[in-house]
Amino acid sequence: MPVRTAKILDLAQVIRSKNAGPFELTFDIMFEERLNYELVKQSGVITRELIARLYNVSNNAVLVCRAYDPALAIKITIRRPISSGDLGESDVYGCQQHVPLTTIEIPLAK
Amino acid sequence: MDEIVGLAPSGSLGSGYNLDAFKAGLEDGPDFIGQDAGSTDMGPYYHGTASMFLPRATYKHDLSTMLRAARERKIPLIVGSVFTSGARKQLMDGVEVIREIAREHALSFRVAVIDAELDKTDLKRRVAAAGGLESLGPEHGLGDEVIDRCGPICAQMGVEPIVRALEEGAEVVIAGRACDDVLFAALPIMRGFDRGLALHMGKILECAGISAVPCDLAEPMIGRIRRDHFVVRPGNAAHRCTTISVAAHSLYERGDPCIQPGPGGINDLTHTVFEQEDERTVRVTGSAFVPDKVYRVKLEGAELVGQRSVVMVGIRDAIMIRQLDEVLEAARQRALKRFPMWQEQRCVLDFHVYGRNAVMRNLEPEKNAVPHEVGLLIEAVAGTQELANAIAMYVRGTLQHASYPGIITTAGNLAYPFSPFNIPVGPAYRFSAYHLLPLADPCEIFPMQMIDVKN
Repeated sequence: MPVRTAKILDLAQVIRSKNAGPFELTFDIMFEERLNYELVKQSGVITRELIARLYNVSNNAVLVCRAYDPALAIKITIRRPISSGDLGESDVYGCQQHVPLTTIEIPLAK
Repeated sequence: MDEIVGLAPSGSLGSGYNLDAFKAGLEDGPDFIGQDAGSTDMGPYYHGTASMFLPRATYKHDLSTMLRAARERKIPLIVGSVFTSGARKQLMDGVEVIREIAREHALSFRVAVIDAELDKTDLKRRVAAAGGLESLGPEHGLGDEVIDRCGPICAQMGVEPIVRALEEGAEVVIAGRACDDVLFAALPIMRGFDRGLALHMGKILECAGISAVPCDLAEPMIGRIRRDHFVVRPGNAAHRCTTISVAAHSLYERGDPCIQPGPGGINDLTHTVFEQEDERTVRVTGSAFVPDKVYRVKLEGAELVGQRSVVMVGIRDAIMIRQLDEVLEAARQRALKRFPMWQEQRCVLDFHVYGRNAVMRNLEPEKNAVPHEVGLLIEAVAGTQELANAIAMYVRGTLQHASYPGIITTAGNLAYPFSPFNIPVGPAYRFSAYHLLPLADPCEIFPMQMIDVKN
């Protein structure tokens, strides 16, 4: 039997990206329902390794990947491939880099 | 009650703010009005050129209401990172704007002007004396050559220079580059309130209504700090703060929600507790400032990398789109041959293929989708504007009449949205100074001038 999964898009309320200073890109996955937050947090699916894979960067480039209970949020920060606005830039604010996160699926308990 | 009330009109000076909510905030009897006016967010251009992000008139418009309200109530107005990068040129523009408003409304007050731009000779001496600086991003250190290539280099001041200005009787503070939270933390810290709480409240207030629901930068916020906690709530009675909306602000534009470094130390939010005080108000406790052994401030500067020129076109033909990579590469090779000074003039040619991967570039997961139409931004950067224009237009011409297998559009390949085709963009910059500078005294590189404005 394949494991049933839920799409992160159906569980989270906000999935966003933004610069954290010119050299980092930070992501927030935020939940309105505590149950959904706990489900995602407890699943252990969102790890540095997953983020590195989704963004095709090395594990070392993933600087932060943690749950933050007070805001019902998962916080992820990666090193920016280039500094904000450098030659080759595509998103100065870094606010449209969230999409790979929207493909995450969370296994549901049996 | 033993408390200090701060009012934050807007999360972005010059973008406007809700004046009714601002008036409601004034009814709460604020002890000061704080306003952040800058950021690195808009990219290196504004730091490299020391130019304002928004038109001057928009800053003046927003400041005018705040300044008049502050003078009417005899409370300080504290504005930092004036305007955008907080360099000296922008700071002087800010002082001039304040003088104009004062003249137009017959206001008199003492204004402290705090400069955050470093003298480059002094900076080089300091870097050498420190034996190099720790980088917060660039892979290189901050050597003399980098310093020379940068536009103005500013340091983000901590709370101390603002406190000094207030202690010396400033009624208005106009500061160059400043860490955004200190504008709101200065008066509380001066009066002996807890530094961790004051800075955390400042961090929330500087973005105004972004930590409320609905989230809106143009909505004023009110913060009230007491001895062992602070509370925040929006000025707009239809909006509210929730424990989640306020806690979520610890995430906003920050790498780590709990460990928040700033001038002179880290604000540790690991043990922060958010509680709902009433329907619209959140109470915060437990934020703790941990001082560093050595007081350090962050430097910001951007170096010139050339002059930029762009051409924007559209492509609709499916046969061309299918082999776009090959067509673009052939155009690049022709340009390299046509402009033999490529290396020497540090020329760069870049194609932004909208509809395919222009937004995410290497991070784009959908690499094989074939769009029915693409927007192509041809970008050239070179040592001179003339050369950048020439490259952009040469590549445009090459693509316009490029031939490729199966071509049916022999009258032209590119659709232009307007004439002229070429847009000279001007200087291109890169953030190159983003390093930590140690200081013996937190005020030593932030000279203050006290001016009596009389009308």
